Amino acid sequence: MFHWLEKHPFFFAVGIFVTIAFAGLVEILPNFAQASRPVIGTTPYSTLELTGRHVYIKNSCNACHSQLVRPFKSETDRYGHYSLSGEYAYDRPFLWGSKRTGPDLMRVGNYRTTDWHENHMKNPASVVPGSIMPAYKWMFTNKADVETAYAEQLTVAQFFSVPYNKEVPMKDGSTKVVKMGASIAEANELALAEAKVIAANMKDQDVKDAVAKGEIPEIVALIAYMNSLK
Amino acid sequence: MNKLYLGGIIFTALMLLFTYMSVSGSEGGLNGDIVNMLAVAGAVALVIITVFVVTKYVRQMQTDTADGQLADEKWDGIGEYLNDLPMGWAILFFALIVWGMWYFVMGYPVNAYSQIGEYNEDSAAHNTKFETQYASITGDKLVEMGESVFLAECKVCHGINADGIDGKAANLNKRVEAKSVKHVVINGSNNKLLGMEMPMPDRNGLVNGATGAAITDAEIDAVSTFVANGMKGAGADVFANVCAACHGADGKGMDSVAPSIATFNPTLVANVLTHGKKGAIGEMPKFDRLNAKQKEAVGAYITNLSK
Repeated sequence: MFHWLEKHPFFFAVGIFVTIAFAGLVEILPNFAQASRPVIGTTPYSTLELTGRHVYIKNSCNACHSQLVRPFKSETDRYGHYSLSGEYAYDRPFLWGSKRTGPDLMRVGNYRTTDWHENHMKNPASVVPGSIMPAYKWMFTNKADVETAYAEQLTVAQFFSVPYNKEVPMKDGSTKVVKMGASIAEANELALAEAKVIAANMKDQDVKDAVAKGEIPEIVALIAYMNSLK
Repeated sequence: MNKLYLGGIIFTALMLLFTYMSVSGSEGGLNGDIVNMLAVAGAVALVIITVFVVTKYVRQMQTDTADGQLADEKWDGIGEYLNDLPMGWAILFFALIVWGMWYFVMGYPVNAYSQIGEYNEDSAAHNTKFETQYASITGDKLVEMGESVFLAECKVCHGINADGIDGKAANLNKRVEAKSVKHVVINGSNNKLLGMEMPMPDRNGLVNGATGAAITDAEIDAVSTFVANGMKGAGADVFANVCAACHGADGKGMDSVAPSIATFNPTLVANVLTHGKKGAIGEMPKFDRLNAKQKEAVGAYITNLSK
């Protein structure tokens, strides 16, 4: 057999490739599969959170804010536990970012609340003196695009088996079900129910009125997304 | 001396001449710089070694003849001598086997670098330093530490002067504002200020001991102003009849019953940091990433503010 291989360089090359590739698969794949599995406690984005994520991307928040806490004491003191790859299992695309003009937002939901975000998005310098972040006033009037978010939910649920309407294990041993509407109308209802909880903690009367009328301003979706980052 | 050696010497001399010329031709020459000197020494060594090695092998090709015993196998018609292993090669070969075994079972597993490992070491070192330097500080030092934690974690809502930035968060320079008292009296509260579940009833559960009826709007306004004024002025009677049973006659609270609403104290602040808080202004997140000493320090700082 080896005599035959020595006389056929092409098949010899193929044999070498197969051997090395097999070794690579054995070494790399199991570890990779393990690390990319969702961490316990990581849940898919709800309809409103995903809508907010689209607002985040649309306004290029990731150009100035990273979502990746590196394993340094100085970072974990400020932002919380360093990031694990499985925590990005439902991020499409991931928003790691490559530059921090503003702080990291990976776990901002742990240490900021709805009313702070409201003040901050309206006028950043009013809560952070000297902040160079611009105000995002249009988010208080623009209507959020729930339908695109719902389309994304449907797609990822079907093609990537993202566990919507299924039990997801949480850190405390309980399970949580993230609901996805069966139709656009139902998705809108779900998003509105979430929006009402957020709006109840907000102060802007126009936003409250809009949500009461059944509309969802972008700011509400964005805050829902921010609060979900934990 | 044959032609080969002569050629080698001439070539070496030429190369050294070029080296000399290019060094002296460049601005400032060697310049007394150790790096330049090392570079020149390297160039000289390279020329001499190259010429020596090339000369040796060319000479060998010219003069050597084959001897020794040929092996039986032929490889595509090319034969091979049966030579002993060179001793240096053999020693290196066995040494590598031993090193490989050591590296496989000890070297890599024990000494391997990991980013998370370095992080864990860093954190442990930091925590040890914190324990030895700061774990037992008290008094002014503690207040100072509280101020720096406050400036790092709390100022984004409460402002650098702890004034709450125009009502965006609680003004910590006084214990409580009338608006907040009113909110709590009307809606009740369960913020775990004592560190445990101890809900305060809403207005329907707050009975005025003197009249026997639930607290009225006028009484709420009166007692809110009274508490916000630092337990002074009108409304003292309402406080005594409605609130004092739990919060104490002086408003300083009772253990395991009700928190102090007259003054801050470090335990109260630490509990807010641990559990977060929801009230008239909005929701404050919990700050569990602070350790117990840091919470105590923030408590000391905030207690100190309203003294």
